[in-house]
Amino acid sequence: MLADGRFHSGERLRTALGLSRGGILTLIRRIEALGLRVVKVRGRGYRLAEGLDLFELDGLAARLKKVSPELRVEVLDECPSTNTVLAQRAAAGAPHGTVLACEHQSAGRGRRGHSWVSVVGGSLAFSMLWRFPRGAGALGGLSLAVAVGAAKALERLGTHGVAVKWPNDLYCEGRKLGGILIESSGDIQGPSAVIVGVGINVCLGAQARERIGDPATDIASHNEAVPSRTTVLVATLESIARVLARFSREGFGPFREEWLQRHAWKGRRVALSQAGRHVAEGKVVGVAEDGALMLASVGGIERFHSGELSLRPG
Amino acid sequence: MDLRKLKKLIDLVEESGIAELEITEGEEKVKIVKGGSGGQEGTALSQPLPAASSPTARPMSSSAPVPASAPGSTPGEAPTSLEGHIVKSPMVGTFYRSGSPGAKPFVEVGDTVKEGQAICIIEAMKLMNEIEADKDGVIKAIMVENGQPVEYGESLMMIG
Repeated sequence: MLADGRFHSGERLRTALGLSRGGILTLIRRIEALGLRVVKVRGRGYRLAEGLDLFELDGLAARLKKVSPELRVEVLDECPSTNTVLAQRAAAGAPHGTVLACEHQSAGRGRRGHSWVSVVGGSLAFSMLWRFPRGAGALGGLSLAVAVGAAKALERLGTHGVAVKWPNDLYCEGRKLGGILIESSGDIQGPSAVIVGVGINVCLGAQARERIGDPATDIASHNEAVPSRTTVLVATLESIARVLARFSREGFGPFREEWLQRHAWKGRRVALSQAGRHVAEGKVVGVAEDGALMLASVGGIERFHSGELSLRPG
Repeated sequence: MDLRKLKKLIDLVEESGIAELEITEGEEKVKIVKGGSGGQEGTALSQPLPAASSPTARPMSSSAPVPASAPGSTPGEAPTSLEGHIVKSPMVGTFYRSGSPGAKPFVEVGDTVKEGQAICIIEAMKLMNEIEADKDGVIKAIMVENGQPVEYGESLMMIG
């Protein structure tokens, strides 16, 4: 009700929600705990300081059916991590193409224990389940291909300057716009169940940026008109589904050029660490046919398949 | 390099956290790999490896006056109990024993596992691949240290 950003009297809220005066106050406190600002004015009631962009559930299924008939989307109000919940459902037999989106992801996960901060109404968090006939060995470069798919979707929505950082972070003008975490399970020989988790900053307030800590940006800062979260969800799902289908047939090869065109740190001096240990330093050359990072150092060009990059001066 | 020295080196590798040691002395080169042959020479890894959890040494040059392997050279080891099925890495990446840093490892040596049970994670380009046990059994050996890079086909664990 409050999502429209208009005033609603306490009495109307009580009637609509069947709550007591105390119940309304508890509710307001819970909303504020989510990081939203509630304005209270005597005689007029309550409103959210900014309108809240919740998912437009009504048209969602129909819009998706048009662009990607194999996807089935469910929107949760709240969950710790869409990847975690979808992994449980996948283990219980959820079908290929199941998508889980969430209004409020409270404990979003990044790589190896890193957290991903989501803001109600300002972030997009979803996971999709894709069942590949082959085993994990055939998935090399998948995360880079998915990043290309997400970047192209955001570009089509009018976002300027979307770039990718190895292996699959989305950047805009040196700040992080989105992240992708892929988890696979299954027999080594195949088939494998792959869960693609995507987090995109759509419109972050100052408070959210502070919580994130690292330099972050959002679509709103790089787009003339801010698309709704539902629009971003539909566009990225369609684009990534296309990428996954093609990857399943052709691997990373067809996506390499598109990845390199958007390469954020090309020619930059970086350090690479694996499991917290410094392993290499050099200039980023690009990515190999399998998606491996190519780093030029004193010893020549080396290839790496995992690790975290950080910028070095020079 | 005499056998006593070789034995010392094997013990050193066994006691330390290192998985692999390569030493060159003049024309002789010895490589000691903890936990089996790692696939660097295309060895058939599916065959039972004698003494696979204790280090084995292989001469790298034909002139090296060392035996082809040193099975059972560690006192107190019973190499015959370490025969089993080797789970190999399906990709190049980083090996992790737990789902997230600080979490309990999926398995420890001595644990009973069921086919399909997650035993470790290999990360390759931010893709976290849960590796499953491909048969029922007991974890006899874990051949890679947590956080170490692994090659395609490298031995990860032995299930007996």
